[in-house]
Amino acid sequence: MTSTSPLLAIRGLRAAYGKIEALKGVDLEINAGEIVALIGANGAGKSTLMMTIFGKPRARAGAIEFDGDDITGVPTHEIARLRIAQSPEGRRIFPRMSVAENLQMGADVTECSEAERAAVLERVFTLFPRLKERVNQRGGTLSGGEQQMLAIGRALMSRPRLLMLDEPSLGLAPLIARQIFDAIRTLNRQDGLTVLIVEQNANHALKLAHRGYVMVNGLITLSGTGGELLQRPEIRAAYLEGGRRG
Amino acid sequence: MTTSALEKKPASRASGAAFILKKATISALVALVLFSLMIGVRTEAGPQGGLIYWTRFGDLAAIVAAVFGGSIVIELLRQWWGPADKVRVVPPAVQNALSLAGRLIAPALLIFTFLVPVIFYDQRYILDLAILVLTYVMLGWGLNVVVGLAGLLDLGYVAFYAVGAYSYALLATNFGLSFWVCLPLAGILAAFWGVLLGFPVLRLRGDYLAIVTLAFGEIIRLVIINWQSLTGGPNGISGIPRPTLFGIPLSPGEDGLAARLGIEFSPTHRIVFLFYLILAMALLTNWVTIRLRRLPIGRAWEALREDEVACRALGINTTTTKLTAFATGAMFGGFAGAFFATRQGFISPESFTFQESALVLAIVVLGGMGSQLGVALAALAMIGGFELFRGLDQYRMLVFGMAMVLLMIWRPRGLIGHRAPTVYLERNQAISSDLVKEGHG
Repeated sequence: MTSTSPLLAIRGLRAAYGKIEALKGVDLEINAGEIVALIGANGAGKSTLMMTIFGKPRARAGAIEFDGDDITGVPTHEIARLRIAQSPEGRRIFPRMSVAENLQMGADVTECSEAERAAVLERVFTLFPRLKERVNQRGGTLSGGEQQMLAIGRALMSRPRLLMLDEPSLGLAPLIARQIFDAIRTLNRQDGLTVLIVEQNANHALKLAHRGYVMVNGLITLSGTGGELLQRPEIRAAYLEGGRRG
Repeated sequence: MTTSALEKKPASRASGAAFILKKATISALVALVLFSLMIGVRTEAGPQGGLIYWTRFGDLAAIVAAVFGGSIVIELLRQWWGPADKVRVVPPAVQNALSLAGRLIAPALLIFTFLVPVIFYDQRYILDLAILVLTYVMLGWGLNVVVGLAGLLDLGYVAFYAVGAYSYALLATNFGLSFWVCLPLAGILAAFWGVLLGFPVLRLRGDYLAIVTLAFGEIIRLVIINWQSLTGGPNGISGIPRPTLFGIPLSPGEDGLAARLGIEFSPTHRIVFLFYLILAMALLTNWVTIRLRRLPIGRAWEALREDEVACRALGINTTTTKLTAFATGAMFGGFAGAFFATRQGFISPESFTFQESALVLAIVVLGGMGSQLGVALAALAMIGGFELFRGLDQYRMLVFGMAMVLLMIWRPRGLIGHRAPTVYLERNQAISSDLVKEGHG
């Protein structure tokens, strides 16, 4: 477990839903302190990769190592206790519970002192002041952007070592999406948080990320720094010009 | 909505009143057309075989007037309880009074409950009814953990009630154990069955879960009927010992409580004792539930009801969370069952039919899932209200059914539809159910 080894290392990972193979041998590394973007078209297996890291669906082959420990096949709830946090696709906040309760749910997993919890909460409110304004409101009454902030805030409450975000800009107005991306950048620069971001909005994600991976049909086809990938003609053609989402 | 609606109030209230009058007039006209032939003209075969008829315009007028008045009342009620953006005809003073009454209702109800045996000391019927209501309050609170908090639709709750009752009955009649030893045992055994039911249904949700739990309730009942050597089958178990006050029986004999205290024996003593016993047990259920809601496990139950995938992503072990919800709910059902057995002195499988499960579930749904006060009010309305309508004979079910339909139209989330958050930062503020989409829960 030297300092140069990656925080998360995935080797030859395969996963399937029934007979349909969604991941066909994925290799991916995330170093501590990095933002890594995973881009690709619908159905490429991006979300499946994230969920497989979390143990659902189970990996059929390959290995997932977190901080030098093999976590392949570890139950989902125990992976979360290793302080790998996830903001799942579609936000999935708890609609009938208040914002404060939603955030507390994120903190319940890990053992932390009251002072630590208050400090993280303060950090979340600094990043997303809107959440503080609406702290006693029900999650379901928030706007889409606020719900996304809440989902990220909830994930942050466990003081994660690795934060995984699945399509944080999904269904958000461009201005709100930018706020979310800015917050992720701030978290990375100021708190040294390691982030894996899965996105269809390739332009945004690659500008934000240190490194990026491109996924096609369950395989990583390209990787490189964010800037490099943005310059690649095949990326521009597939995700930025032709396939760019309004 | 507050400021803008208040500014517009004078004009809109007048139009609101006009709207109500218009609606009532239309309803009255419809009633007039409908009933003019049905009620207004009465025909009968005369003595010569010919048709004779006579008019009953008085009755017709009374019915049309009733429809007119009823329509106004219904429309007023609807505006009281209707969505927030509707024009409100009710003056703010009345609304404030209503909200004050809403806050005082729980303590007032509790004080009144404590005083019931004092007020109605010589009315055995009311005391018995109160004990019955409290039993259902306790069952409702117990099922509320499973259905209201954890969102696991359980149609077989009566199984745990039966397990508790039979546990106490068998332990007491076979081994002579006292009520106070058997009570925790009955709870533990019911919780054990709760876990046993929980395991196979871990993957199920919603309708599928409901069907399996329904079957489970029936299985328990059928086992009780058929396992004659142990349970006595359809004959049930009789001669179940009465509860004692920590070993002192409430009987007329030498060592009875009355004799020891030097007061004259009265059978009412035991009723009053049973009343306070079930009250204490129900309040314990309530207290434990309220405490649990503020702990991570209670929050996890509620989160599980909202979104199972998100729960797992947050590191909640959904397996143990579901099983603890089943076990906790079952345990309270078991306690209530033990109380039922000791109160009746006789139990048979007939007491544990699906109808009981449905009744308890109706109490939870009617009360507003997850609301403690709502469940208590619903139990009072369902059990007490049913008795109240006894004078209506064959119309009782009709009135009762109509009341429930109307209630579900106006209060689709139950009597108390909002849930109070358990985590606060600055101020305590209940969030109106009006703001939340229906169907979540």
